[in-house]
Amino acid sequence: MKHLMGLALGATLATAAQAQETVVWWDFLSGGDGVRMKTLIDDFNAAHEGEITIDATTLEWGVPFYTKVQTSVAVGEAPDIMTYHASRIPLAVSQGVLQPITDADWEQMGLGQDDFAEATWNAVTVDGAQYAVPLDTHPIVLYYNRDLLEQAGRLSEDGTPMGLDSREGFEETLAALKDAGVPYPLASVTADGNFMYRTIYSLMGQQDGELLTDGEFLAGDNAEKLENALSLLQDWTTNEWQSTYTDYPATVALFTSGEAAMMINGVWEVPTMNDLAGEGRLFDWGAVELPVIFDHASTYADSHAFAIPANNGVDEGSAKRDAVLEVMSWISDNSLFWATAGHIPANAGVTASDEYSQMEPNATYSTLTSNMIFDPQSEFSGVAGPMFDVMSTYFVPTLNGEMDPAEAVEEIQYELNDM
Amino acid sequence: MIRNARKDTLIAYVLIAPFVAIYGLIFVYPTIDMFILSFKDAPLIAFGPQTAEWTGLDNYTRLPDDRRFGTAFWNTAYFVLLSVVPGTLVALAIALGITRLSGRLQSLVLALFFLPYILPVSVVYRIWDWTLNFQFGIAMHLFDTLGIDRVPIFKTSTWFMPAVAFVTIWWTCGFSILLFLAGLRAIPAEIYEAAELDNANRWTVFRKLTWPLLWPVTALVLTIQLILQLKIFDQVYLFSVGGRPNDNLVMVYYIYQRAFQNDDGGRAAAIAVVLFMIVIIVSVLNFQLLRLAERKT
Repeated sequence: MKHLMGLALGATLATAAQAQETVVWWDFLSGGDGVRMKTLIDDFNAAHEGEITIDATTLEWGVPFYTKVQTSVAVGEAPDIMTYHASRIPLAVSQGVLQPITDADWEQMGLGQDDFAEATWNAVTVDGAQYAVPLDTHPIVLYYNRDLLEQAGRLSEDGTPMGLDSREGFEETLAALKDAGVPYPLASVTADGNFMYRTIYSLMGQQDGELLTDGEFLAGDNAEKLENALSLLQDWTTNEWQSTYTDYPATVALFTSGEAAMMINGVWEVPTMNDLAGEGRLFDWGAVELPVIFDHASTYADSHAFAIPANNGVDEGSAKRDAVLEVMSWISDNSLFWATAGHIPANAGVTASDEYSQMEPNATYSTLTSNMIFDPQSEFSGVAGPMFDVMSTYFVPTLNGEMDPAEAVEEIQYELNDM
Repeated sequence: MIRNARKDTLIAYVLIAPFVAIYGLIFVYPTIDMFILSFKDAPLIAFGPQTAEWTGLDNYTRLPDDRRFGTAFWNTAYFVLLSVVPGTLVALAIALGITRLSGRLQSLVLALFFLPYILPVSVVYRIWDWTLNFQFGIAMHLFDTLGIDRVPIFKTSTWFMPAVAFVTIWWTCGFSILLFLAGLRAIPAEIYEAAELDNANRWTVFRKLTWPLLWPVTALVLTIQLILQLKIFDQVYLFSVGGRPNDNLVMVYYIYQRAFQNDDGGRAAAIAVVLFMIVIIVSVLNFQLLRLAERKT
């Protein structure tokens, strides 16, 4: 059905585009995401045969990608369209790397503010202008092993872990798992502060904490809220409830091998679990929104979005622009398939569909869409950005019990304001 | 035949022109640009160096109070201390051992020691991560068997630099071994025969013959190592990503952070200029000192 709609839309736009357009595309999606995106691109090309062809290249995620984009824009060699992290948009705008998506563009794509969650829309907006079309949101979630939870007597009737509504409840679950002989009740990426930033920022959000207030980092009682989050996680280490000095791949391995009963990780690991389960090599598993440890639910999320680089000749009104807009709107309309990579499609029309509501575990955790918090809008934010490095430097020793949380917060506050 | 001096000069200039042009384009010009950039508040690229505002010496005057610069400076010094002299001594010891072997066995042993040198840094990183990873590293299982507590080597500031220095020596000493071997082979065998006739013991032979005769090579190896290790980046970056990057900063890493992560072309250039000066001063000083030592012996 979605496919047909896309086809029809493609046909109408193609008459305007006339001759065949080649859209040069850069992304940073490798692994499970990348395979799925390639399928989407192939589908797009098949649906637009003779009209638009996407010429896609996948580049290295993180700093290498963003440096290359910056250089290519400076010399006018940027692609026609590229993927971008919403969290990096403020920096990109200050560097003049992106073209705004105009009202006329939104209209032509048949998309608008109403099609996206408020937090997602705000994440691509700088000073009232939008600089990207959100494709998805990718929050972190709590993965769990039903078999182990059941052994420990902490599986509730609906098949989710018990005690997701309070600190006491969740800690009871952790303790019960430990008593039941599970080596690591929770697998945490404690060797990688970059990653833990997502969990810690979520825990700050649960206390209505802010990282950046009017240009100052950790102003007022926000420092205290960060300290609360760090103390909590340090306690879990002291009680031997979570794995220590564990890097990303090791964390996933601890969970999938059954050494750890739960894991906080990004939704992008859903394909890993699905594939293992499909081969019959995984226990009964599930994923839910993060437990509410403090005042209310809150989860860190970022968004993969499509952006048009500046200085690349894709000007308003040009045939190339029409083609690029068609790519963005078609993929947005067909992003149900993208959800199999674990991500939550940003297009509300897609998440409201019946097909989506039957997708598991996506449907279980899609409730968190209303509790998402994005990075603060700052040039220092964003994946692989300078803020990540400061946090990571102090998170790692604190989470592993080497540094006092209060001391860490003091250092973080100093360094963030010194960036 | 009378040679036309002017024509010769002209031909000489024409012949070196391509080199000078390329050298100017890819080395002299960027270096000058770096100096200019270091006096500006410029982003890394985009429409930067030409239009950015002049800030005078600001980029330099803020360095003494910049905590990350301090960390980077001292870490680099520490790393040089840990890697240059120990690395040279290890290479010398291995080279001395290898010269005592002969034939195919010698080639085989030399090849084994040289092997790590041909590996790219990413592979070196993988190998040592597999070995020393806290959860799954092979060495940790050994620790468990021996009853020693596991150590998160690349995640604590105590062990980080020594471990990276160790890995670097393991990785790069193959090249120094080759230089030492060449130096050892250049020492005439007759001298050793004469020493043997005089009943000199091994230690005396090493102290009075091998060491002084090998000194020019040792000086060369030390200088090469010093310049190389001052510019350390790859290993430190790879081992600290996600861990404690700002505790493990070295000079080039800090330049990278400023330039590519913070988009502060000007401040990055200022640090680069400082490093440039340090490398020049230290290596000239080092070479002169070593030559002085040579004359004395």
